[in-house]
Amino acid sequence: MPALDGMRVLDMTQYEAGTSCTQALAWLGADVVKVEQPGRGDPGRGVRGTEFDSPYFVAWNSNKRSVALDLQSERGRALLLEMAPHYDVFVENYGPGVMERLGLTYAAFEAVNPAIIYARLKGFGLSGPFAEYKCFDPIAQNAAGAFSTTGEADGPPTLPGAAVGDSGTGMQLAFAITAAYVQKLRTGEGQEIEISMQEAMTYYMRTYVAQTDDWGESVVPRSGNGFGRGPTNLYPCKPVEGSDGSNDYVYLIVMTSRMWDTMCAAMERTDLLVDPRFADEEARVEHVEELQAEIRRWTMQRTKWEAMEILGKAGVPCSATHDTYDLFHNPHFEARGFIAHLEHPQWGKIRQLGWAPRLSRSAVPMRAAPLLGEHTSEVLADDLGVCPEDLAALAQEGVVGGVVADAAETL
Amino acid sequence: MPALDGMRILDMTQYEAGTSCTQALAWLGADVVKIEQPGVGDPGRGVRTGALNSPYFVNWNSNKRSVTLNLRETRGRELLLEMAPHYDVFVENYGPGVIENLDLGYEVMKEANPGIIYARLKGFGLSGPWADYKCFDMIAQAAAGAFSVTGEEDGPPMLPGATVGDSGTGVELALAITAAYVQKQRTGEGQFIEITMQEAMTYFMRTRIAYSEWGEKVAPRRGNSAGAPTDLYPCKPAHGGDGANDYVYVMVVTSRMWDTLCATIGRPELIVDPRFEDMWRRNENGKELYAEIAKWTRQRTKWEAMEELGAAGVPASAVLDTYDLFHNPHFEERGFVHDLEHPDYGPIRLLGWAPRMSASEVPLRRAPLLGEHTVDVLSDDLGLGSGEMQELEAAGVIGGAPVIAGK
Repeated sequence: MPALDGMRVLDMTQYEAGTSCTQALAWLGADVVKVEQPGRGDPGRGVRGTEFDSPYFVAWNSNKRSVALDLQSERGRALLLEMAPHYDVFVENYGPGVMERLGLTYAAFEAVNPAIIYARLKGFGLSGPFAEYKCFDPIAQNAAGAFSTTGEADGPPTLPGAAVGDSGTGMQLAFAITAAYVQKLRTGEGQEIEISMQEAMTYYMRTYVAQTDDWGESVVPRSGNGFGRGPTNLYPCKPVEGSDGSNDYVYLIVMTSRMWDTMCAAMERTDLLVDPRFADEEARVEHVEELQAEIRRWTMQRTKWEAMEILGKAGVPCSATHDTYDLFHNPHFEARGFIAHLEHPQWGKIRQLGWAPRLSRSAVPMRAAPLLGEHTSEVLADDLGVCPEDLAALAQEGVVGGVVADAAETL
Repeated sequence: MPALDGMRILDMTQYEAGTSCTQALAWLGADVVKIEQPGVGDPGRGVRTGALNSPYFVNWNSNKRSVTLNLRETRGRELLLEMAPHYDVFVENYGPGVIENLDLGYEVMKEANPGIIYARLKGFGLSGPWADYKCFDMIAQAAAGAFSVTGEEDGPPMLPGATVGDSGTGVELALAITAAYVQKQRTGEGQFIEITMQEAMTYFMRTRIAYSEWGEKVAPRRGNSAGAPTDLYPCKPAHGGDGANDYVYVMVVTSRMWDTLCATIGRPELIVDPRFEDMWRRNENGKELYAEIAKWTRQRTKWEAMEELGAAGVPASAVLDTYDLFHNPHFEERGFVHDLEHPDYGPIRLLGWAPRMSASEVPLRRAPLLGEHTVDVLSDDLGLGSGEMQELEAAGVIGGAPVIAGK
């Protein structure tokens, strides 16, 4: 049995922040019904202007069902509110003011489903002087301090490449929704949840914030890839065959004197252990450039995979710089079955990375993202008992869309 | 009523990845009891400062209780197993092999409490060729591809400056534990959960992966730009600023935002300038366009630029540094900065918890001192009296003499 078996989510999310939240819920077993505009759908479907659903959309909408419903029309909005009593959760991440203009507020939902959990994901939140400002992942990362701690000490602030401002927020919201669901199962009561991307992103900044003793009174600097503390840094490696060198690096960390001993032994450079320049941590900091040059000499004779294996096996924390190709071509993910092979109706065979939490009693097989409106007919029939004739009429009026339109033509 | 009222967590986490998970659970109302070694505790307590309550520890252990228990002593281990039936969840993030050496594996815990949710957070996981490799945040980020997409196009891969390899994994695990708790409420059954930092970190990489032809191509680094004029622009240093973080990031993803940007910076002629007439031309002449916009941003502080652009509808943010996080009007008005008292420091400030729930409020409490709740928990859970506890303390099984004497 999936952990969240029976939990039903009415999903009005778009792009990444919201969709990453509902995808996580779907992977834990919730029935996620994504409500999208007929003809167009989640704008994430069209990112990069591909003819098919974009790989971006496919990456963030696995295991969901799609219902195409025109919320610009009164009948569409009425249908959504008729569906609401069949769901535990409503989630949206539209821009400031959109839900209010559609009249799909918490009050409107609460009136038809008093126990609903109504969750809103916003860039800067619903209050405060920046509430109306638009937000995307880089904006949230920047507004949460992540640019300020990324990049070289003497270079500009730098965008961190993983879109944590979006999906890091989605994850926190999925967690809060699930906790609210626990509460609802006990009390029968729902509630409103608000999360801002800026605030959520700061959770991942707490370690940097803690690098001074004055609780936010001074600026924590950037320090590139090293911390000026001896060997810990990124080192260039011999390019793997066919590679241009841009990601041929290994990162290694030496935090304890035992790791230092182990590293020197693994590199067959026990002479460094007795070298007075590197006698203790203080000396290693003082002669950090010479020390790193010694290490570089070793890493440059090995590929990143060789370096990782030798050092990792010996007990030195390290990793090859994986690029997006490597994520799909490495022995570890393969052995662990982390790469899912799926069929997509447009793309054919596709590969997706899996879901990190592995629950012994709650397996949910991964399913490819739905086509626009793929489940309009089944959801409206199951939830509201709408019969095929009525569906055809709704499709004709443009109130619902997706595959049901084809069905209407064949009727 | 807090959402997770009544949920009880036996917390054997350390540093950040595990502690960020249990802190999140505590902020939703779970009773998190952190088990620590007498005398030293979570090694995170000593990070950078060498004392017992580093700012690092204080940031990752709010709202928890601390119990000291020497698990290397037979009696200490027995006490933990006697406590186990009183809890719903056990969480640990020790290095490879540590829990096995202590003989506190799932089978052992399950025997003490068949309904327990037993969660393990590991760097590379419990299987696969890299299972035994050590891992910290930076290692997980490198192994999940995040370095490869951070930094300048012609520069080396770069460490992203938010520790998502740790706390991003922690939040994913908190979600999985809560979902398993839902299942346990229904079926009475617990289960085993494993999460790896490497795999968890890849969740945040899916958007970049989407530019890799289903994993067959390498998604490139691209510095701060993402199609002109989206980029980072220098600003006039704010009061007290040395220029290091005096920048504003500006995004233009629709033609409407482009029009708005030009109007807001008082340069409507750029809209009709043939060099910038569409997306392709703007990219082609990106350098010239950057210079035009930088002319405007350099005359303003990052806060002024953010306010003018943000209010007009152009996605923009000043580069906030760690000082700015505690000194900005937005967090102030939203009450996101919390003032607390800590016995070692006096007044301290911590950032809050992003999810705001209308029916589940949990006030923020400072991180516990080492062993601060040993007496409370052992007497409530196991009914131990003060005589027994004094004996345990004398035998070195529980610790924190001043705490016990204080009681």
